[in-house]
Amino acid sequence: MNRFVEIGVALFAWLCAFVLLAAVGTVFVFLLIKGGAALNVQTIFGDTPVWEAIPLKKAVFNGLFPAIAGTLLLVVMAVGLALPVGIAAGIYLAQYSGSHMKSIFSLFCDILAGVPSILVGLFGFSLSIFLHKYVSTEIYPCLLISAASLSFLVLPYLIRTTQIALEQIPPEERLTALALGADKLQNIIYVLIPRSLSGIISGIILSIGRYAEDTAVIMLTGVVAMAGVPQSLLAKYEALPFFIYYISAQYTDMEELRMGYAAAIILVVICAVLFLAAFYIKNRLTEKALYSV
Amino acid sequence: MILRKYRWFVTVLLMISALVWTSAAMAQSLDVFKGEKGDLRISGGTAHIPVMKEAAKRIMTVNPAIHISIAGGGSGVGIKQVGERLVDIGNTGRTPTDDEVSKYGLKMFKWAVDGVGVIVHKKNSIRNIKKSDLIKIYSGEMTNWKELGGSDNPINIYTRDEASGTREVFWEKGLGKGAISAKAKVVVSNGAMKSGIATDPNGIGYTSVGHIDDTVATVTLDGVAPTIENVKSGSYKISRGLFSNTKGDPTGLTKKFIDYLFSPEGQKIVVDEGFIAVK
Amino acid sequence: MIKRFGFWMEKGFLAAALWSMFLTILIFSFMLVLGLPLFKEGRLLSLLTSPWVPGEGQFGIYPMIISTTVISFLSLCLGAPLALGVSIFICLIQPGRLGRWLKKVVVLMTAVPTVVYAFVGVFLLVPLVQSVFSAGSGMNILTACFVLALLIAPTMILIFSNSFNNVPLAHQYAADALGASSAQKLFYVILPASWRGIVAGLILGTGRAMGDTLVALMLAGNAVAVPGSIFDSARTLTAHIALVTAADFDSVEFRTIFACGILLYLMTLLMVLAVRFLSSLKKEADL
Repeated sequence: MNRFVEIGVALFAWLCAFVLLAAVGTVFVFLLIKGGAALNVQTIFGDTPVWEAIPLKKAVFNGLFPAIAGTLLLVVMAVGLALPVGIAAGIYLAQYSGSHMKSIFSLFCDILAGVPSILVGLFGFSLSIFLHKYVSTEIYPCLLISAASLSFLVLPYLIRTTQIALEQIPPEERLTALALGADKLQNIIYVLIPRSLSGIISGIILSIGRYAEDTAVIMLTGVVAMAGVPQSLLAKYEALPFFIYYISAQYTDMEELRMGYAAAIILVVICAVLFLAAFYIKNRLTEKALYSV
Repeated sequence: MILRKYRWFVTVLLMISALVWTSAAMAQSLDVFKGEKGDLRISGGTAHIPVMKEAAKRIMTVNPAIHISIAGGGSGVGIKQVGERLVDIGNTGRTPTDDEVSKYGLKMFKWAVDGVGVIVHKKNSIRNIKKSDLIKIYSGEMTNWKELGGSDNPINIYTRDEASGTREVFWEKGLGKGAISAKAKVVVSNGAMKSGIATDPNGIGYTSVGHIDDTVATVTLDGVAPTIENVKSGSYKISRGLFSNTKGDPTGLTKKFIDYLFSPEGQKIVVDEGFIAVK
Repeated sequence: MIKRFGFWMEKGFLAAALWSMFLTILIFSFMLVLGLPLFKEGRLLSLLTSPWVPGEGQFGIYPMIISTTVISFLSLCLGAPLALGVSIFICLIQPGRLGRWLKKVVVLMTAVPTVVYAFVGVFLLVPLVQSVFSAGSGMNILTACFVLALLIAPTMILIFSNSFNNVPLAHQYAADALGASSAQKLFYVILPASWRGIVAGLILGTGRAMGDTLVALMLAGNAVAVPGSIFDSARTLTAHIALVTAADFDSVEFRTIFACGILLYLMTLLMVLAVRFLSSLKKEADL
């Protein structure tokens, strides 16, 4: 009996590994086959020449450029909004709070992290309607609201990464500066943050990946099918993930569908690059830190 | 040495913040030019989108300072959003009701006539349907293609979401306000309806006549084909106007855009995209 | 002066932490407040048990609740064994180069955007399901569950392998020393020791499956009927929110999505509490 069980388990494990690899492989190969041909300048810039499109002198109509620009702007803004709050909160949890507070904060972070992204989008949408009615009729769902909502979505990850990075510093290093007479804040600014930089930065980069790929939040808070490159914070905009979603249901000819495949490839590449960058930075910085002090 | 690392981090942080705040500054300086370099927000009916896109493209090419954004969502969304001043123009594929007009103070502009046609997959052998049969199919009474003389396969019904003007018109004029089965698959735009039917050999759906192309096959209703000529002559009964609605009388950029839709060039775009011009 | 600065900085950090906490509560309260009219008119029970027929004034989200439950459960049934199998492979069967390489692939899989999986699902899986099963169009529960299983598997694999690796080496060596085979080690030492991690992984996987919007929106058909079989089209709570938000923001229809939101939020809360409870058990039982 045992031998059969033994073989059965091994077989099952091999089978699962194979199925997983086959599935992932199929996804990538399929995308490359269908969209590889469309990965050219025309797909991105349409009929507008590149040197006029990038400085925004001429609008791009049939290309992915507005969507790529929209995604990039969104990411930058969301990072800008989430970074200060996330890192500050992480510092507080790691350094200042008592353990009772810590577990309560931690609970709330877990909840926020588990909330489905569409609910955050719904919140952003309700917020924009609320602001529109009671604060200023100039406010619509727009780039700013989307960026803010996205930052809410990823906040728990930033906080958690910062907190863990800070807590992973060995206790000897944490106490050295204090023993030499520095106060808590000086310790944080001059010793702890530089030491945990690699962890914090990899957390930031991973969150960037999350901003770039999210669709549910932006769908409800300001992304549209056609808007060109956004001119202001309060403008509507386009984004790659939304373009992919929209095209999958509503392509009008094979040309557009192929653009959709190309967009999918581009998005995967962007996310993969960010991911690898986070990995690389984390390893490199840790090495440097270990050997340079 | 530690400070050096830290400084780099701060610089990056400052650069990011600078980028964020400069875009905010950019926004404020654009406000001053609002009258001339304008922002035009359009949303609503999905049937209108090809025309909107073409018109927007031409306007933005001629005057890059104008910025037009187009969203879909369906006629219901168009009305709500223009009523709440979230957009400047709300497109509808049906006439706004008196309630809606009075509640939001809407002004309607019909710049094209369109129809709603029944579509099936190209491989489907059925090409004619009686209206009474259509009603039975959508209510769920008729469930297999063989009852119509087709293959022995279940009928997959496709319908639009509730905000859709196309759905409203189809339900009123095509189904005589009959029930639509809860098992119907819901798609969110005319384009999505087309791609849904194009990939489902047993599907049946309805879409804007102007949108119909060779990816799907059309079905004649009581012998009348859903072509744009038949809509124009009145022999195909399921017809509707394509409206752009504004809250109150349109002014400035909005007015210019709507006038453009009625201009000879605008009406030519309407015809090119497969609809019927009103002028 | 530095002391002052330090004092204010600490308050600043505290404010940031409190803001994050506040945000979590704010999201929930927004939904409660906006959904309030639903409770006032005493419609809550009917909301949760009746079907969605807005034309007749019925705004029940019962079909959506059923669909979310079915889809999450089925994806778990497909994804969990897969995840378990791959974890066993990585940790036990091929812990060498092959296992390490596979783990890297799995980690990279978590970076792939959901929308890309769904997109490939629409154009590759839907026609496939349609031709293989020839029951309706390919946009049904089954297709959505296949893709969803693929989506939640990497996270579960990472959590499972982590728990397997956390079984004290001493226990594993002891089993080896006693002459246990891999399978015996697995069933008698590793699985029992890591059951908490496995359950946590399952809960997180379910949470992810429940909260996912795009896969269900693009692949499950969005019909409003209570699904009768896995070949039926269905609409999840999340897809419902996405579809209805586009439509309206003042009517009763719109307010029902806040009911969906509240439900999802409560389910999330339950899962988080369940996982926490599990990890608190850890402390006492690991002798």
